[in-house]
Amino acid sequence: MSETGEFLEADLRASSESLKKYIRDKVNHLLSVMGTKPLDEEELDDNTLIELDPIGIIARSFEQILEHQRETNRRLTVAKDQLQAVFDTVGVCISIIDEDMRIVNCNEKQKDLLVSANTSVIGKHCYEIYCGKDSPSLDCPAVETLATGKPVFIREVEKKDRHFQIVTSPLKDENGKVTGVIEVSIDVTEKKKAERLMRQAEKLTAIGLLAGGIAHELNNPLGNIIGYATLLLKDKQSGLRPDRREKLEIIVEQAKKGSEIIKGLLDFSRQSVPSFSDVRLNEIIRKTIRTLQNRISLQKIKIDIELAEKLIVRADPRQIELVVLNLLLNSVQAFEGIKRKDKVISIKTGRENNLIQVRIADNGPGIPEEILPGIFDPFFTTKPIGKGVGLGLSICSGIIREHKGSIRVRSESGKGTEFIFTLPAMASKTG
Amino acid sequence: MEKGGIAMENTTEDIVLDIRGQICPACLLITLSELNSNRERLTEASARLVIKTDHRDATRTIPGAALAMGYGVAVTQKERYYEITLEHKK
Repeated sequence: MSETGEFLEADLRASSESLKKYIRDKVNHLLSVMGTKPLDEEELDDNTLIELDPIGIIARSFEQILEHQRETNRRLTVAKDQLQAVFDTVGVCISIIDEDMRIVNCNEKQKDLLVSANTSVIGKHCYEIYCGKDSPSLDCPAVETLATGKPVFIREVEKKDRHFQIVTSPLKDENGKVTGVIEVSIDVTEKKKAERLMRQAEKLTAIGLLAGGIAHELNNPLGNIIGYATLLLKDKQSGLRPDRREKLEIIVEQAKKGSEIIKGLLDFSRQSVPSFSDVRLNEIIRKTIRTLQNRISLQKIKIDIELAEKLIVRADPRQIELVVLNLLLNSVQAFEGIKRKDKVISIKTGRENNLIQVRIADNGPGIPEEILPGIFDPFFTTKPIGKGVGLGLSICSGIIREHKGSIRVRSESGKGTEFIFTLPAMASKTG
Repeated sequence: MEKGGIAMENTTEDIVLDIRGQICPACLLITLSELNSNRERLTEASARLVIKTDHRDATRTIPGAALAMGYGVAVTQKERYYEITLEHKK
């Protein structure tokens, strides 16, 4: 072999060795990525290694790893979307709060109930967004959970005029350190309202029984007082002096007032049995307006009437008349002592699905918000002593309840009051 | 190294790879090569790969790589070797 040939062969051998070293280094690098140790030259010599094609094997394996990662990502995205949907549609409020009391995430229910529209919440302090305060309250369950690492249950807490039951659970890192809180709140506002109504109904029943019993017992002696006093007044032979006759007239008048109150109590306690018949609601309304026409004209009140046609309900006409009369009288009385030219009472009837609705509204001074919840309670009155016993609205409420309807009131101070009651519509006789 | 030994259990075929006597990383490379060449059958879960190895390191490296590729892994200690089963869940 010539000197040039020997030189070329040595050069090729050196290149081959360098290439093999490169392949071995790259394979070892890839093997370390796969989590195994480097190649052992005694086990796999260079020729066997090249024959095995390790880079090709690992490249195809990486292809499988990549495909698996893609599939895993796809599944994670689906799972995340499903979880988000559950998170948002679940009927409770859920918030994730970090150790600085900042909101990390919250669901739609939480936003609906406690966050003003278009307010961004992420990163904001929870006490600021949810409680409207500039620092956490002393009994904040999230603060306690962050401090103790233990779950806390609060039976009831008020946030922005709503009532909640709250459970807070700690979020911990891998070392067990508390890094945040998951706060789950259940809105119990409606439940509380229902409980209050239940208590009110129980109270009404008890008062009704008591009042009915007393009224019944008082009715007879009062009747006797009125009867005998009237007889005395009519007896021309009695020779009553004018001053004594005057006193006797006062006795009759006061006894009659007492009798009226007893009549109200008996109505309230439902001891007068309702007599149901097909009632034309609009006729009752027109008749009641006629009854009060004198007072309405005297107070210069304008009456706006908008009555839907042929509304028939199965009801006791006398009792429904009493309801309309009480509500209308309430509106008329709302204007007492008010000197305005635009005094209006509007009366509307309508039908919605299987319900007939009556709305009686006035543009009077309105009912203060704080007394609104109690206006259907018996003996609740804002009138001066002697002007009313506070049974009117509770009687209305009782009658409507007995007719399987509902009654409610809306009022805004300075703008007026609206009473709305509904009754079940007759299925085929309307139209 | 012995390759083949097909056994049937229900409708899943066992592809048995006997690499007793081999040490890592050769064990891993051979297993990966087998996973690549049988990828389709393994992915559609009509077959599973059963590896017999007496090299303890392989019970760590093979499951690690197989899990990253999306296979389910079971390692069983037999009397003188380990049996590693790799399969895709149906």
